[in-house]
Amino acid sequence: MTTPGLRRHTGAACVLIVLAAAWWLASASGLVSPFLLPLPQTVLATGWELLADGTLGMHVAVSVGRILAGYSLAVALALPLAFLFGISPAVRQAFEPVLEFLRQVPPLAMMPLLILWLGIGEAQKVGIIVLACFFPIFLGALGGIAQCDPKLVEVGRVCGLRQWDILRRIVLPAALPSIVIGLRIALGQGWRALVGAELVASAAGLGYMIVDAEQLARTDIVIVGIFVIGTLGLLADFGVRRLIARTAPWLRQRTELTHA
Amino acid sequence: MLELRGLGKRYTVHDREVVALADVDLVLKPGSFTVVVGRSGCGKSTLLRLLAGLTLPTTGAIHHNGGRPKVGCVFQEPRLMPWLTVAGNVGFGLVGKVTKAEIEARVEAALALVGLSDFRNAYPDQLSGGMASRVGLARALVLEPELLLLDEPFAALDAFTRRGLQGELTDIWLARRPTVVFVTHDVEEAVLLADEVLHMDGGRIIGRREVPLPRPRDATDREFVALRRAILDDLSGRAGSSPPPA
Ligand SMILES: Nc1ncnc2c1ncn2[C@@H]1O[C@H](COP(=O)(O)OP(=O)(O)OP(=O)(O)O)[C@@H](O)[C@H]1O
Ligand SMILES: [Mg+2]
Repeated sequence: MTTPGLRRHTGAACVLIVLAAAWWLASASGLVSPFLLPLPQTVLATGWELLADGTLGMHVAVSVGRILAGYSLAVALALPLAFLFGISPAVRQAFEPVLEFLRQVPPLAMMPLLILWLGIGEAQKVGIIVLACFFPIFLGALGGIAQCDPKLVEVGRVCGLRQWDILRRIVLPAALPSIVIGLRIALGQGWRALVGAELVASAAGLGYMIVDAEQLARTDIVIVGIFVIGTLGLLADFGVRRLIARTAPWLRQRTELTHA
Repeated sequence: MLELRGLGKRYTVHDREVVALADVDLVLKPGSFTVVVGRSGCGKSTLLRLLAGLTLPTTGAIHHNGGRPKVGCVFQEPRLMPWLTVAGNVGFGLVGKVTKAEIEARVEAALALVGLSDFRNAYPDQLSGGMASRVGLARALVLEPELLLLDEPFAALDAFTRRGLQGELTDIWLARRPTVVFVTHDVEEAVLLADEVLHMDGGRIIGRREVPLPRPRDATDREFVALRRAILDDLSGRAGSSPPPA
């Protein structure tokens, strides 16, 4: 197991090194103007500076705070609703057309409306994240519940379980792989939507940091911002995966995604 | 005592009526061991599903004299919860009914019985087909049911393991005296285990044979062989009561 793992890591490391070298070459040789593509060491120095004076930390804190608020709200809305749909076909039929319609609208297309309704404060940012996260979570949970094997439910019925226990002990765990996939996808979508929202109208956050830098023609800050955004996204996804592996070992293979 | 009167079950599949079970009259005495044989699709699993209360009959009824019995069911497929370990699956029906310590002790005993003690922490996708079906058996036995329903429980096992579990099942039955209904395609197994062998065809019980042999039974015994032959003849339609196989 170690050898293929090692080989995979060396491969990935080689690609990264080549990319960094190409970047350095392009910039150092003057092939691309250093104004458009600063040297790697300049970007590193800028990153360090932003970290040291607390600017980066502040923007990260603002963005992460927004994501946490929006994501939790979306989970709190989507999961109970999915279970309600799962156990009550009548509710499902009543709400399905509206939700199907809303699902077709990309969250960023709702932004002008959200700005008009909620202003450009925190409520609007959180609103965008909720919109972006809701459907992946909701549809994941709904699909998981629908796919629950009725034969397993029968096992519960023979054991004399009540409806609530069947839901809790059979339907929920059976739906979990699908729920977890939804949660992972939602985190990625929410993060992207947030940065988008911060690019358009904001006074803080990583998205704001990079548009602000663009207006000041600070390409180095823009690049630092992009790296931080990507890295935080990776970290969050890694965290979710670790959490899954820790709490539900039988889920590991079932919830792997090529891209979330 | 369990009385089945005029029991029938019809399904509608694409506007066509399928008669899965028709006019079944049957009395299951407490502590009896009934084996059901019959061709694929003749309604054996349907009979068990009705007995388990998983589906309602379209005609007739099941009368329970002396309250609804505690049911244990071994399904035709293992039907294990993939998110639970072997021990978790075996103890599934006990959770919330008895203490944790008792669950643990009973699960341990049931696992030892089916020879899977070493696999208590494995997940179902790490088991072979035969191992999974033994977990399904342990899950039913651990409940210590009054009515034990088994749908081809040993079909996926090798001859040696099967022989062992047939012995274990007989011992458990002799010790606890549950009412057992056991479905199999294996006529030797039927004669080895049953008080009475029921022959089903087209949703009906078309033949019955008592097995008056003492236990433990010997498959090479003359009477055993004769009875097995007779039941095989019933099944192949030579006795004249069932239509010839298609
Ligand atoms: N849920 C269902 N819906 C429609 N038809 C069904 C259903 N369950 C069983 N049937 C039909 O009822 C008949 C009897 O099925 P059953 O499963 O009881 O057969 P069986 O004797 O157990 O067969 P096997 O030995 O192959 O397991 C079959 O014709 C089958 O197609
Ligand atoms: Mg069957």
